[in-house]
Order: sequence, then structure tokens, then C-alpha cells
Amino acid sequence: MAEIISANDLNFESFIKTNRMIIVDFWAPTCMPCRLMEPGLEKFAASHPESVQVLKVNVNESPKTSSRFFVRTLPTLLFIKDGQVKTQIVGAVNPNQIEKALSEVG
Amino acid sequence: MEKNWDVIIIGGGPAGLAAAIYCGRALRKTLVLEKKVFGGQIVNADIIENYPGFAEPIIPADLMEQMSKQSERYGVTLENDEVSALLREGDGWKVAVYRDAYLAKAIIYAAGSLSRFLGVKGEKELLGRGVSVCATCDAPFFIKKKVAVLGGGDTALSEALHLSKFASAVYLIHRRDQFRAEKILQDRVFRNDKIKIIWDTEVLGFKGEQRLESLEIRNKKSNGIEVVAFDGAFLAIGTIPNTGLLKDLVKLDDNGYIETDISLRTEAKGLFVAGEVIKGNRRQVAISVGMGVQASLSCEEYLASLD
Repeated sequence: MAEIISANDLNFESFIKTNRMIIVDFWAPTCMPCRLMEPGLEKFAASHPESVQVLKVNVNESPKTSSRFFVRTLPTLLFIKDGQVKTQIVGAVNPNQIEKALSEVG
Repeated sequence: MEKNWDVIIIGGGPAGLAAAIYCGRALRKTLVLEKKVFGGQIVNADIIENYPGFAEPIIPADLMEQMSKQSERYGVTLENDEVSALLREGDGWKVAVYRDAYLAKAIIYAAGSLSRFLGVKGEKELLGRGVSVCATCDAPFFIKKKVAVLGGGDTALSEALHLSKFASAVYLIHRRDQFRAEKILQDRVFRNDKIKIIWDTEVLGFKGEQRLESLEIRNKKSNGIEVVAFDGAFLAIGTIPNTGLLKDLVKLDDNGYIETDISLRTEAKGLFVAGEVIKGNRRQVAISVGMGVQASLSCEEYLASLD
């Protein structure tokens, strides 16, 4: 089972290099849907093998990473495979919707 | 996961959770299905000041977390899943979700509403790239930037006030010459130096490449069209009812709302409704909560008749 890891502007690139499949949750403390979506994201991460790494990026603390991916709304989930952005989900979603998006990315 | 339930509540906003508390206390096996996050659209707001019983402003997410926990205290199951179909199954109901289905004796439909969009050029393409429907979610991206808020109701004015704490200037663009928002919100907006109001104006389009750069607007009185630079635009132009699943089950009006009486029953046996799916709902948490309670009491009356 995989845990959610907090990433930032300094270490983000290293996660991309070392993980084949990454899901990035862009959030901010003021974003209430982000807060309420977190239990679902944890449930998703816990039910998945470590082949999928879930990262959390606080946009207030890591503006470079959010700018790099043109993130302008929260929550945004980015699905990155082999270093390439495959798809994104904008707005709060449930674990099954994350699962579905992941299966479409392959 | 248990397949058979007394009541399945579709929607985990104020109406659905209030109904859940009462169903739980009626000792009915109750499942609440919510496709996004428990709490509903109100969690997008930064504060709530008019919910009776709280002298100080409260954070909507806190209020809604309490409602969730309160329902769980009475044995209600909360499940994060999207309903794909609602079907008759004998005398009861079948609720299809992602890769599963549940059965229930009764349904309380409280799926709320969805943000309304203008349907103009650039809107869809720039959603999430400067065009937003949630000021509290996205305000951090607009520190010292120039933003527009579209609308004239409570949500629009509340969002403009919230954004004024982050942005350098907030322009409230409204298609009429007066607001319909609460007077106390209007008063705060009029006294806020950062908020400027553009009356009688509609938005014709959103422009930008990778992100929003400008809005094309038209003054409805002069018919003058201009393109004005903005970094962000927040839509608060109302909602549409989330009643797609009901279209073959109950009569909906031309806008998709359900017309019902105070019992909140529908013509479909064992199907009750609550909250923003009902025609004439004024989008207040207190109203939705009251409706949730009423729907659950009508539902209990129905279930008792089956016992």
C-alpha cells in the first residue's frame, strides 16, 4: 500500500524521475473541497500498490510546480506517466473517478 | 458492502445529510451516496454567517463535517460514489453506481445543483486556466492580480469580497443595474475600495492561449463591445438542477426542476426529494436542511406503512 507524499518545488523533479506513474494533488489550505477530498484520496492511495505514487503539492509553498503545469484551479489532479502529463481532473472527485482516470491512462 | 438498504439518499450536501440524521434516528438502514465531497456546494464558500444558531461566522466545511459525523453517529453509512442510474425494482429501487448496485425500499433524492456556465467562446477551454467556479479554491493564484466576478447574487458578491483580500482589483460584472444579493453583502461590496462594479454588461467570450488573458464584454445599454484584460474570471451566475437521473421517473419543469408540495413526495412511490433540485429553492443551507428533514419524515411515514 502506498502513502501520499508531500512534494515541493525543490524535490518534485526527483519524484518524476524515480516513479513511472504519479498522481499529483495540487491543493491549498484555503481550499475546502481539497480538504474534504483528502480522505478519498488517502483511501485510493492505500488501496493501490506502490507502482502508483500519489503526491500532494501545496500551491502556496510550491508556485513553480503549479505554474509549470498551468494549474489555476484547486483541487487539480495531474496524472503523469513516464514524465509526461497524460490527463488531469479539475475539481473534487471520489476514489472511483480517480481509479477510472488511472485505468484510462493505462 | 451491504446491498440492501431501507433508504438510499442520493447527494451528501445539507439536504441529504440532514435527511440522513433523521433516517438514522428512525433506525432505518441508511446509505448516503455522494459523487464529489460530503458537504455539497456550500463548502466552496469561505464563511457562512446566516445559518441560525451560530453567533459568529462559521466555516462551511466545518459545519458540513459536523453534519456528516452527526449522521454517522446514528448508524448512517456515507459512501463516496457516483450514481449512474436510478431504476424501479419491484416495489423498491435499484441504484447503480460505478461497478456495483444497491437496493432500497425508498430513495431521498438530494443531488443538488451544478454550476451554470455562460456557454460562450473560450469558456470551456480556459476553465481551470483562469476561468473558475470557486473563489475560495482558486484565490491563491490571483494574489495582486486583476480578476472579474460574473453575477449579482449572494454567491457572486461573497466571492468578490473574498477575492478582494487577494487580488489587486476585483470587477463585478453584472447584466442588470442592481444586485439581488443580501443587502448586507451589497453594503460591504459598495464600501470595498478594491471592488468595482460594471453594471448592465454581459460577457461575450473569454480570450487567452495557455491561460485567460481578457474578457470580451458588451454594455447592454450602449451596445459598446470592448476587450478588457483580466487574469482571472469567476463564474457565479447561478446553477442548474442535477436531475438527469429523474427525467423518466418524475415530471420536471422546462428548466429541470421538480415541482412538489411541502410533503416532498413525488408521483413515483417511495421517491422523495429535497434541496436545490426543487423548483423555487432559494439556495440557502437552512432551507436545504429543513427540506432534508421534511423529506426524511415523509419517507419514514412511507416506510412505516410498509412495515
